[in-house]
Amino acid sequence: MNCELAHERIVTAAYGELPDEQMHELERHMTGCPDCHTDRAQLLALKVLADAHPMMEPPANLVARSRMRLEEALDALPPKRWYERLSQRMMNNFASLQAAPVAACLLLAVGAGAGILGGYEYAETRVIHVAVRDEVLAPKPVIPPAAEITNISSIVRQPNSEIVEVRYNQVVPQQMEGSLDDPKIRELLMVASEDSTSSDVRDDSVGLLAAECRAGHSCQAAGIRDALMVVLRYDKNAGVRLKALEGLGPYVAADTRVRDAVLEALLNDTDPRIRTEAVNILEPVEADTSVRQVLHSVANSDQNPHIRTVSRQVLKRVPEIQ
Amino acid sequence: MSGKSAQERLQARAPEMELIREAQSGSRAAFDALVRQYEHQVLRLALHLTGSEHDAEDIYQEAFLKAYRYIGNFRFECSFYTWIYRIVTNLCLDQLRRKKTRREDHAVVLDHSGDEIDVLASVSDDRSFSNPAKELDRKQLGARIQEALGKLTPRERMVFELKHYQGLRLRTIGEMLSTTEETAKNTLFRATKKLRTQLAELR
Repeated sequence: MNCELAHERIVTAAYGELPDEQMHELERHMTGCPDCHTDRAQLLALKVLADAHPMMEPPANLVARSRMRLEEALDALPPKRWYERLSQRMMNNFASLQAAPVAACLLLAVGAGAGILGGYEYAETRVIHVAVRDEVLAPKPVIPPAAEITNISSIVRQPNSEIVEVRYNQVVPQQMEGSLDDPKIRELLMVASEDSTSSDVRDDSVGLLAAECRAGHSCQAAGIRDALMVVLRYDKNAGVRLKALEGLGPYVAADTRVRDAVLEALLNDTDPRIRTEAVNILEPVEADTSVRQVLHSVANSDQNPHIRTVSRQVLKRVPEIQ
Repeated sequence: MSGKSAQERLQARAPEMELIREAQSGSRAAFDALVRQYEHQVLRLALHLTGSEHDAEDIYQEAFLKAYRYIGNFRFECSFYTWIYRIVTNLCLDQLRRKKTRREDHAVVLDHSGDEIDVLASVSDDRSFSNPAKELDRKQLGARIQEALGKLTPRERMVFELKHYQGLRLRTIGEMLSTTEETAKNTLFRATKKLRTQLAELR
């Protein structure tokens, strides 16, 4: 081994990438070569010196700021149209097939064989299948897909009860009655929360969903939390947005998405009641750097003097995190 | 990692593969979950390379927006980690090339408002560097290191960053920089040689 090769292997070895057999060869060379010995000592010293410029963990407010900015940019992107999604899926499938030519050929052969056999049997036997309908049992109420629901016409909760009656329209007006814990009722309430035709229906549904969240009932598995965040961001009615905000309150400490949505409301909502409530809801996380940053901004620039004052009071109450 | 079988590695990647497939189908929640898995690493790399919170934030934004736009093109031929890092390293290289002409000495990192944050002051030190004179020496040393790193070409700087500070294997570095392991190795040799020359008087 010459010294030029040894110099390269010293670097590779110092970073743990030299195979064992080459390491042995290198060590043998080093025992008889003081220059290479010095070279290795210099490289090790360099590694120590380089650590005087250490990696830093990104500060929490940088992470929060970056995430919020990314979410805004993603929200502003137009959704992909159905033909774009379809062509993408076809391209992905084609790429998968390209990567598995044998499997693709086998699949083709099996598919073609099954098609020919099926066609032959059908032509020979001409079997007629009759579907048997079960008209004996009363049909169970089945929630139609959301696309088939034209609107939610009313929501009535029975007094002192968990039973809620939701009237919705499909082709024929339907109604369903059930407990608030019933996933079908919850699904209908979430559809109602997006009903653009009636703010009363949205108000009732969001109120019930928010109450479930505040009571600590299961609020995430069914997507209720997400539905409330959508309402908080986009509903045109301030009363409905306020109810959604109140429902999200218990999750502001544990769920950073909820926290970000509340911060967004504090910065951008046009209704001062909502911005005031947002400050109150952020109390458990007042010491969070991203929250403090937003509070600073609000304390300086909110149009409402009461909100500016409340924000300043909160900032004074909690010492700065060092 | 090297001790795991291919099957074990595949099983460990299975949940991520599901997330990627869902993101490719248009699930925003799945994409957000992927962002959360990698955002700290992306920011750490960008912050260390650029020395600026503002630049790191811009790189984060561009990298994940690109990932969102082109996730449909991800074919599972490499890990998602390698794929996203490829995007990030290219953006960092562009940034390094832009900055190369300015040759600013960054003794400290800049925060989003342009104020300086002393990197070394934020690192706890329980060795004998506890007195002001030694603290000053350490800061000056850090400044010299940064100056020396700034004299590398963008590619040399990137390879050294990924090898020394991120601890990645040369083969992975080659994949990220769309080159071979051998080329990455040679780039590392050149980078360490230059750094040794520049830092000779400090030893």
